[in-house]
Amino acid sequence: MKLLQLNTAEGLDLRQREILLGWSMVIPSVLIILSLILYPIMYNIYLSFFDVQPLAANTYIGLENHKNVVLDPGFWNALVTTIIYVVFTTLGTTMMGLFVALVMNQEFPLRSLARSLILFPYIAPVISVVFSWQFIFDPVNGIFMDITYERLGLFASRFNLIGSPSTAVWVAVVFSIWKNFPFSYLMILSRLQAIDHNLYEAAEMDGASGWQKFRFITLPEVYFVMGAIILLRMIWNFNKFEEVFLLTENVRVLSVYTYFKAFVGTMELGQGASLAVIQFLLLLGFILFYIKRVLKW
Amino acid sequence: MKKCIVLFAVLLLLTTFVWAGGQGEAAVEEDATAVEAEGPVSIDFWTTQTQSDRMATIQVLIDTFEALNPNISINLVAVDENEMATQINTAAAAGTLPGMIESAAENAVAFGSEGLLNEQAITKVINDIGKEKFYAGTLRLNETASKGSYYAVPFHGWVQGLWYRSDWFEEAGLNPPSTWEDIRKAAEYFYQPDENQYGILVGTKAEAYAEQCFTQIAMANGAQLFNADGSLIFNSPEMQEAVEYYTKLAEFTPPGPQSWRARDYYLQGKMAMFFYSTYIMDDLALEENAADSLSSENFADLEGKSFDPQLVQNTRLAATISNTQDAGYGTIVSFGIPAHGDQQKIDAAQRFIKYLFTPNAYITWLHMAPGGMNPVLKDIATNARFQNDPKGIFQHYGAEKMAEIIQGLDAIETFSIVEGKRMAAASTIYSKQIIPQMIYKITQEGMSVEKAMDWAENEMRKVM
Repeated sequence: MKLLQLNTAEGLDLRQREILLGWSMVIPSVLIILSLILYPIMYNIYLSFFDVQPLAANTYIGLENHKNVVLDPGFWNALVTTIIYVVFTTLGTTMMGLFVALVMNQEFPLRSLARSLILFPYIAPVISVVFSWQFIFDPVNGIFMDITYERLGLFASRFNLIGSPSTAVWVAVVFSIWKNFPFSYLMILSRLQAIDHNLYEAAEMDGASGWQKFRFITLPEVYFVMGAIILLRMIWNFNKFEEVFLLTENVRVLSVYTYFKAFVGTMELGQGASLAVIQFLLLLGFILFYIKRVLKW
Repeated sequence: MKKCIVLFAVLLLLTTFVWAGGQGEAAVEEDATAVEAEGPVSIDFWTTQTQSDRMATIQVLIDTFEALNPNISINLVAVDENEMATQINTAAAAGTLPGMIESAAENAVAFGSEGLLNEQAITKVINDIGKEKFYAGTLRLNETASKGSYYAVPFHGWVQGLWYRSDWFEEAGLNPPSTWEDIRKAAEYFYQPDENQYGILVGTKAEAYAEQCFTQIAMANGAQLFNADGSLIFNSPEMQEAVEYYTKLAEFTPPGPQSWRARDYYLQGKMAMFFYSTYIMDDLALEENAADSLSSENFADLEGKSFDPQLVQNTRLAATISNTQDAGYGTIVSFGIPAHGDQQKIDAAQRFIKYLFTPNAYITWLHMAPGGMNPVLKDIATNARFQNDPKGIFQHYGAEKMAEIIQGLDAIETFSIVEGKRMAAASTIYSKQIIPQMIYKITQEGMSVEKAMDWAENEMRKVM
């Protein structure tokens, strides 16, 4: 109603005008969010109750899709793979980011050059680095097998590290850590630079060791930034598709599993929608827990 | 904060549940029938020729056509063959079907039987060109269940077979690999992983290539998906033998899931045999084509070989594989007009397809990959200009060998035609890649043959 009164704004008092101004400024973004984010989510939830046929009418089947998904061992495998992937990549990127940030916070020659070079994996386009990785791990021509098997004799035979379902997930984990640690590094480094040097000097006066300085000054200072990075990384990697899918189709994390379920082979679109809903709820539950317990909001 | 989110999520679920609980969603397909007056029209053409040099050649043909037909503009879109089914199904659901597609005949039949292609429009094109001008076998692969009506028009095709190192075979005193027994023996003999040398390449990745290798092997054993009555006979002793045999061959391929890309290992002299189409002919004969398969230039220390000019002489093709019977295999690539119902776009697509069949345009297209793209029109096959290709492939292999390959197109057999009857469900099974997924499960995930076949049969029943 208030919007309709835009032309007759003269009749309003100051407070009402403030409210009107506020609404008129947020309405465009609210509309965009509603149409591009909320609508797809709602529609997806709606679809998950149907047997979806792309070329015919959808039939309402209640919770059948959700039941089929949960009873499928493939789903549980995908969930376990996702948990492995998320836990190890998050730990890896954060530890690696922290370590590199601590090193890069020291004074040494060419430091600024080194700092920018470290960002390279993060800014390189994913498709080109994926191809290099595939070439590195090619069982017949790749340099990895050439060094480990041909030259060093570490393995009994050549094998396809990136292709075999059992090993591919670890390659995907290492790839993700290598690709994404610079983000954590950047965030932690900027926090490290803001720590007051007086704190360290005071600690040294009191005879604190290097470890103690790290444990009682550095860590508490970067705690919340690391907490936020871990949360973001977990959300991102829980939904990660392109890095995993492009590198190797054999790592069936939930998003890749959903893609195959919905769009490849028998195209179970309804079950795909149901998988997306389940993934959404799992993530929502985790975020609420994390915010409450770790970030203590 | 927390309460708010939980409340919101619960509300969200409840409202959609109530909303969903109503009735089934009505299908939104509606034919746009209005025929507008002759005006500018623009159509999308989905091609499976995704390589940039081929797209450039097709673009030249489009530009020429557009100059002749100023009212029509054609937008070339590259779609990977393995993605075609996903793409066209989603386009149909979204109401954005393209004006024209190029795809394997097998896929065209699958799309057609789902009602995605316009049979009348394409049958008219075939009749306008003249049915008698086509090789009959290539038309048959595109036919609908009723005679004389087609889902798509064949345009070019390739023949598949087992390519092998004849010099290695002679040295080892082995028979050419055209029977099951000889292939297995040779694959085992040449499989020397310690030397980084492999016996054979068969597809073990869940892609169309695996199905192409498998089909020829299964047919050589008389295994079929359907009998003439149209009932599924996948789980037969013949099929099981074929799967077991294929699994055995897979042990002699390079490690991990492999696809056609692994033919590079052959070009590098690290493999004895590989299933491939006649597309390989220019890669074998021409150094510039082989270049992207060879790594020695960039990695001098790796044991990649440089281009071997002798390779073309030392490579032979076993086009027929046999065990209990002879089996040849290949693929016809066809044009289809999707069922979008827009008459103006149909006219434009029909006109463009007919243009592509005119000798100049046709030969330009086929010369993109001499040997790989073979004509389906009889008079083009004997056309002197066609036989004088710029890459010199005809000279390299001799006109006789080429004629043999083109003849092979006429005799292609697939799972989807049994005793002259069209099995549309077999094409759907092909397009859903059920057999490649089964092969992947067995060779990469270690599932037993029986279990994997049960799984595949179950999936097949789902799509029928």
